[in-house]
Amino acid sequence: MIAARPAAVLGLLLLCGFAGAAVELPPAERVVLDNGAVIVVNEKHDVPLVGIEVLIRGGAVRDPAGKEGVAALTASLLERGAGERDALAFAAAVESVGGRLSVSADLEYIRVRGEFLSRDLELALELIGDLITGPRLLPDEFDKLQTRRIEAIRAAKDRDPGVLMPIYAAGFLFGDHPYGNPETGSETSLGELGHADVSTYYENEIGADRLIIAVSGDIAAADVVQRLTDVFGGFRAAAESLGDLPPAPGSDGPRVLLIDKPGATQTYFWIGGPGVAIDYPARAELDVANTVFGGRFTSMLNTALRVESGLTYGARSTLVRPSSPGSVGIRSFTRTDATVEAIDMALGVLRRLKTDGLDETTLESAQNYIRGLFPTGLETAAQLAASFAELEFYGLDRSFTDGYLERIDAVTVESLGPVIAAVYPDPDALLFVILGDAEAIREPVARYGEAVELAITDPVFRVPAP
Amino acid sequence: MSLYSELRRRNVFKVASLYVIAGLLLIWFTWVARTQFGLPFWAEEFVTVLVIVGFPVAIIFAWVYEVTPTGLKKAVDVDQTQSIVFKTGQKLNAAIMVTVGLAIVAMVADRLLPDLAVPPPPEPEPEPTVTDVADAALGGAVPEEIMSWTMANGLRVLVWPDEDIPNVAMYNFVRAGGRNEYPGITGIAHYFEHMMFNGTSRLEPGEFDRIMEANGGANNAYTSNDVTVYQDWFPRTALEVIFGLEGDRFANLAFDDELIESERDVVFSERRSRVDDNNLGKLFEQMVATAYVAHPYQFPVLGWPSDIVNWTREDLEAFYRTYYAPNNLTLVVAGDVSAAEIFQLTQNYFGPIPPQDPPPPVRTVEPPQEGERRLVIETDAQTPLLHIAFHGFRAADPETLAMELLLKVLVDGNSSRLHRRLVEDDELAISIDGFQQQGFDPGLVYVYLTLPAGTDPAAAEAAVFDELAALIADGVSDAELTKAKNILLADFWRDLATIDGKAEALGTFEVFHGGFERLFERPAAVDALGADALRQVAERVFQRRNATIGVLRARAGDES
Repeated sequence: MIAARPAAVLGLLLLCGFAGAAVELPPAERVVLDNGAVIVVNEKHDVPLVGIEVLIRGGAVRDPAGKEGVAALTASLLERGAGERDALAFAAAVESVGGRLSVSADLEYIRVRGEFLSRDLELALELIGDLITGPRLLPDEFDKLQTRRIEAIRAAKDRDPGVLMPIYAAGFLFGDHPYGNPETGSETSLGELGHADVSTYYENEIGADRLIIAVSGDIAAADVVQRLTDVFGGFRAAAESLGDLPPAPGSDGPRVLLIDKPGATQTYFWIGGPGVAIDYPARAELDVANTVFGGRFTSMLNTALRVESGLTYGARSTLVRPSSPGSVGIRSFTRTDATVEAIDMALGVLRRLKTDGLDETTLESAQNYIRGLFPTGLETAAQLAASFAELEFYGLDRSFTDGYLERIDAVTVESLGPVIAAVYPDPDALLFVILGDAEAIREPVARYGEAVELAITDPVFRVPAP
Repeated sequence: MSLYSELRRRNVFKVASLYVIAGLLLIWFTWVARTQFGLPFWAEEFVTVLVIVGFPVAIIFAWVYEVTPTGLKKAVDVDQTQSIVFKTGQKLNAAIMVTVGLAIVAMVADRLLPDLAVPPPPEPEPEPTVTDVADAALGGAVPEEIMSWTMANGLRVLVWPDEDIPNVAMYNFVRAGGRNEYPGITGIAHYFEHMMFNGTSRLEPGEFDRIMEANGGANNAYTSNDVTVYQDWFPRTALEVIFGLEGDRFANLAFDDELIESERDVVFSERRSRVDDNNLGKLFEQMVATAYVAHPYQFPVLGWPSDIVNWTREDLEAFYRTYYAPNNLTLVVAGDVSAAEIFQLTQNYFGPIPPQDPPPPVRTVEPPQEGERRLVIETDAQTPLLHIAFHGFRAADPETLAMELLLKVLVDGNSSRLHRRLVEDDELAISIDGFQQQGFDPGLVYVYLTLPAGTDPAAAEAAVFDELAALIADGVSDAELTKAKNILLADFWRDLATIDGKAEALGTFEVFHGGFERLFERPAAVDALGADALRQVAERVFQRRNATIGVLRARAGDES
């Protein structure tokens, strides 16, 4: 099936992704165990399901240099044998009751996400408890996984190149800073890993003091709190403390990273610079601005590059907002011979945003848009669990969600101005990540800045330091 | 005296003007009466014909007869010195002024009409079409709040009220997809999906999205082999606005030549990232084109490149007329609404759209395959791909559910048979997945693998068929059957956890499975299936003579 409107969907995802809410979060029970694990539970009885979201602080930023991907590999290994069950028995236990369970590494955490029929709650908590507190970390499973994950990156490079752009972009913007780590690792860094790296990561980076466990669904809250206390109450702390991230490097643009994919029919690009953190105070203003700039179908970018010119199937702007400042970027793609036309047009739209700002009508439209779709972000038990976990993770209180629409309503044309000026990068100091047929586009894109080059088949996502 | 001045003298022009304006007014009144008070379609057609037929009669009458103080007389019999045609003319002028005034009022009202507030809904007219369906597992009888009805123009409407959040999900299923295409217009159903956002006779291009987003709504759409589905998500406060937008584009779509051209480029860009720059899409397209030799499922939904650049405005207009008719649509609304208000809104905004003749049936039946088919693509690739497709079933066939369960056993999760064998034990593949197409006509059962760089697809292929042979010989175990059933049951509830999922599930079962009630029979239907039924279906489908096998690999010489 073919969907027509990537930007529209993106808008929805953005709204769902930021701990959006059914106008207000439902009440929840919150307990902090003696060992530091945080538990948040709420009841939701419309369908017989339970959603479980566990965040373990750490993630890809804790990958040692040169061993990127160890958090991701550890995450996968956690569910390949734990407690009394080997890898097959563990998978069978989840699947035999129709459950869904995934473990993955994000930039700043490992996420365990489960959705089960509520009748299987006890099993679900047992499995999740086992994989966090008692994974087997089997060496032969490690070997298989290591090979497979390297191959999976190669396979991804054979598919829609747009998917890879955020990984290349983070690497180009942040360099060797942990925010530049590819969460998946690279073919090279994964190849460097040994089983000991995974054991070490587990000892150092996974522990009760890193845990946030959120459960929502057709359950009895007090009962779930008790069960979770039993499962996690005796869990040790991580051997290392998280510490602070080093300061991020400046962007020192304009610079270009050109990634060669010979024979590509289209050029895929990301244009951006440093952004802001999750707790950026003018979040409401920024969300409004980004909705208008590139966060929905009628955004300035999509209107210019798709609707009015037919240059692309979709153009959008993305905000990466982790604990510390992340990135702001423009993403799109166009046929090879229109590369410069599309990039110039995107730059023109950025300049227009920065010089003209928003008018009253557009502001009101964006406010309505955000308000209208806000409730769909907290409709299901799984969404609620994810939202509670996210608030806990970033140390935000409920007002982050519950007061959000009020703050959106309070945004004015005047309050937007300084936010747009501060957050959206200087059009003359941008970073460009451009992926396409280098033979055709190398010369035309040289105009955007000093270029470094990678081939898509190079087994890395970052240009090695000279 | 010239004919012209005589025509003028006898007020023929004035009568003609008066007639045209009054006639149009009458037609408009009938239209309003029909849409607002439910007069049948023929009433409007009847009045229109009457007005047209009456025109020459009126003209002749005006020419032949003349109004005199003593009554109507033939013009030739009237003493011209006594003639009061001038006075009559003045009266006619006044009448024209009045009707023009009325027409202006009507035009203004016409613009405003769709924006008028919906009168408070009466007691729900729609009768529930279901009362008591056999209890399904977990007590899954048809929820009694679901309402359905078919409008006079053939539009099928389903409503599932759910007040959990103050939002609404609306799905409009159009029975038009790749199967309705032929060489020269392949991809047109999908392209049409794009054109539905590009303006109407009432709204400029882009206004649809601008109005929707400004009212807090978002939308998307997708096209498959069988249907084109339009989706809107919005706060309930925008209900009427959204109905206005949707009714408008289904009634009054415009075809702007410039937009037709620029939208070709958008679709081509979509094709490049999904197919041309994407090995997975590239192989899939060729697989489908190989597996079907006769049936239109062979065409890529995105269209062949030469068709994307060449179809014409006339093709588009014909497609719209044929397929975008109310009798070819199923409208599903789930969320914070009442059936009564949806009834009223559909009357107001879709009621005026006339039905069309049913689209021509898809006659071609794919002949049985009588031997394995193979294809190879050589291109830039680090990891080879192996795809295997078997001819399967229609959505509505009873075997489809058994095949769903078989696919759970074969490829769903790390404990599934093919994953275990190919990925975990023999390490011949880095991933394996599968699905079956569930459409109006028999679709494919599709298994696809990504292989490690530099490996020979033959070993993986042999292992897949080895496992399928074991499945045919020994069937599935009790544990596997239970697992497959539990996954389907949990999926059932996951689908119904959101208003979006409810709208989609309800519409899918209504359109493809013979009625939305079937959705709620599903848990019981799943429960009733035994291991032997699965084995028999596996035996029918998983034969080499029924298989298309495709490999995508690096061009010889540039293996990495």
